[in-house]
Amino acid sequence: MSDPRAWPGELRVFADYDRDFCEEADVVVVGSGPCGAVAAYELAAAGRRVALLEEGPPFTPSEFTIDGALSMARTMREGGLRFTSGYVMPTMQAIALGGGSLVNSAICGRCPDFRLEEWAAAAELERTGRKDLEPHYDAVAEFLGIAPTPDEVQGRRNLLFRDGCKALGYSAEPTARNAVGCRGSGECFTGCRARAKQSMDISYVPGALRLGARVLTSLQVQQVHATGRRATGVSGQVVEPLSGRPGPRFRVDAKAVVLAAGVLATPILLQRSGDLANSSRQVGENLQFHPGTSVLGVFPDPVEPVFGATQGYQSLHFLREGFKLETLWAPPAVLAVRMPGFGQQFKSQLRDLGHATVWDAIASCHRSRGRVRERRGLGGGGLNPAMSWRFHPEDAAILGRAVWVLCEIFFAAGARKVVPGVASLADEMHSLGEAEVLRRRVPGAKDMIVASTHVFGTTRMNGDPRRGVVDEDLRAHDLDNLYVVDTGVFPMSPAVNPMFTGMALARRSAQALAARL
Amino acid sequence: MSGGAAADVMLRAMWLWVALVPLAAWAVARLFLGYPPSAFAQLSRRAAAFGAAAAAAAFPPGGAVPLSGSEAGVPGHLDRYLAALAGRNRLLIRLLLVFFEHATLFFPGPGASGFRRFSKLDPAQRIAVLESWSRSPLRARRIVFTSLRTILTMGYFDSPAVLRATGLAPLAIETPVVDADLLYPRIGRGRDTVQCRPEDRARTVSRAPLDPRGPLHPAFAEPEAPR
Repeated sequence: MSDPRAWPGELRVFADYDRDFCEEADVVVVGSGPCGAVAAYELAAAGRRVALLEEGPPFTPSEFTIDGALSMARTMREGGLRFTSGYVMPTMQAIALGGGSLVNSAICGRCPDFRLEEWAAAAELERTGRKDLEPHYDAVAEFLGIAPTPDEVQGRRNLLFRDGCKALGYSAEPTARNAVGCRGSGECFTGCRARAKQSMDISYVPGALRLGARVLTSLQVQQVHATGRRATGVSGQVVEPLSGRPGPRFRVDAKAVVLAAGVLATPILLQRSGDLANSSRQVGENLQFHPGTSVLGVFPDPVEPVFGATQGYQSLHFLREGFKLETLWAPPAVLAVRMPGFGQQFKSQLRDLGHATVWDAIASCHRSRGRVRERRGLGGGGLNPAMSWRFHPEDAAILGRAVWVLCEIFFAAGARKVVPGVASLADEMHSLGEAEVLRRRVPGAKDMIVASTHVFGTTRMNGDPRRGVVDEDLRAHDLDNLYVVDTGVFPMSPAVNPMFTGMALARRSAQALAARL
Repeated sequence: MSGGAAADVMLRAMWLWVALVPLAAWAVARLFLGYPPSAFAQLSRRAAAFGAAAAAAAFPPGGAVPLSGSEAGVPGHLDRYLAALAGRNRLLIRLLLVFFEHATLFFPGPGASGFRRFSKLDPAQRIAVLESWSRSPLRARRIVFTSLRTILTMGYFDSPAVLRATGLAPLAIETPVVDADLLYPRIGRGRDTVQCRPEDRARTVSRAPLDPRGPLHPAFAEPEAPR
């Protein structure tokens, strides 16, 4: 084992900046989340001088806190309190080295064929089919050790989902994840104490450092510079970790710029940079989410929910109908929020949590769209977004149907009651017969508790420069050396969790860029 | 209007003011003043009073999980949570707490005394107020309520005793040292403070699945009885 301190790359943290500075690189990559980290690694592997810039700090295991509120306050942008307007829905984006991979549940699903075909048709894509992406999926999978969650760490709450699906004839499978040696702590969302999750900060980022990349944390990029059809670099400000207080200014000049700042920040960066790459008028438009909701079920026997992979099982049975089902575990307080009642009644419910588990559904919502702009006024500045988004009734009905299916699976698995979390209906339902009301009267958008962490579309890829921001290599139509490699390039939902497809596309894009330099 | 009539109107107006000003002062005092000092760094007097009252309503003593909201340290957690938030979000949470404290003006508790501020309501009235928010036909009201409930519940579950009582205390895990641990300092510190050394990576750490009945995370384990 080599000593990382002797690697050719360089890591800088907040304490390293005491004055304004300038840097040069072949490529500057903005954002160290899954897509940016993969791009930085691939470019470094191709021998390019890479500067990977990240606004957040690196987190060490001693800084992970199991307290859900404090964890979100530290690892999420705006303390985890972001929400959309129009249809009010919370949405979370991480601010840390490794981006969302530090605090997601490591799910790695390949975009299904039918959806890639829809992408191709809708966005005039010729090289983004299964056979085109498969080598990139495979390479990322090998690097991260992506594999189905082993039975030994499923725990009862995941296996009950399997049993319920099996009883109903619904397909279900162990979730493929970038976790190697998972011990089943269920703590993916607050940072993996077992160091099993291969988040970018312990996988691709060190990989890039080993290959000579510079990784500069605590830098907020505020502008992309360009002359004519060429991007020339980026500039911004050092920001203190956690508080965000501004420090010295910086500039990085580069032969190419790769933006992976995230679906909400990348379009704002382009808008702030003289409305760059926006001849199509699509920058910041087409904002799409995977809205999700969950159902809690209580079983007669203890489930011992503290043990088991966070999201160890899933069902793709209803993918073509527009929703995906998953098991879920989160900090107990987050799960307890949906328990009904107050005072002693509420406390009695809390005792049920040891017998309980939560399963969720996420929906592909092509009709539900919005836009993102830089936020002005209170809470403005930085790269904070103002997001407006509408939940189309037909899309809400898809999620509403998923609530019924989840209840069905719970009762098939032997639950003694479910808590569907649907306003205007009973708090608890004790039999499939009682839950039938969910099938007869599908919950609407206003009835459900909905949240989302998967975001797409604000810098969409399209073969036609008039209808999209980037081409199939993820190069901006308007500039010769500006690339966008986050999931904002998805023309629509990938039907499953987006991280893996984002990384596969980023890898292909980075290789194309390296070949052009 | 004659001079006498004008004087009469002025006199009446003056008496009206004399009557109204104390009434207004009384109403202001009843609604907004008279809070005990806050023992917290971030919570104002008003927010601290509301936090304690809401925690008591949501988590009274006794019952299935014996600890009350105050025993579990919910107001203290609220204070730490505010300290961890920055700028706008800290303001938003403070506004949320103060809003609930005085929202009884518009959404009162039951009974003639239901218009008092939340922290002055009796326990049954507090529960009734929260219940009305949670069951409101207006989604916006339910969302605001869910935000409050989330914050309070997170505070309650920050207590190791509550987590133990509900069977949800995290398990002990030995954290292995990986390459990245030799590179990253603690947040805000310099790289010269990195504690891990290359030889730490060779330390043997169990990779076996956790035992759900195994030892708890040290911070959440039952404190040892004094000898």
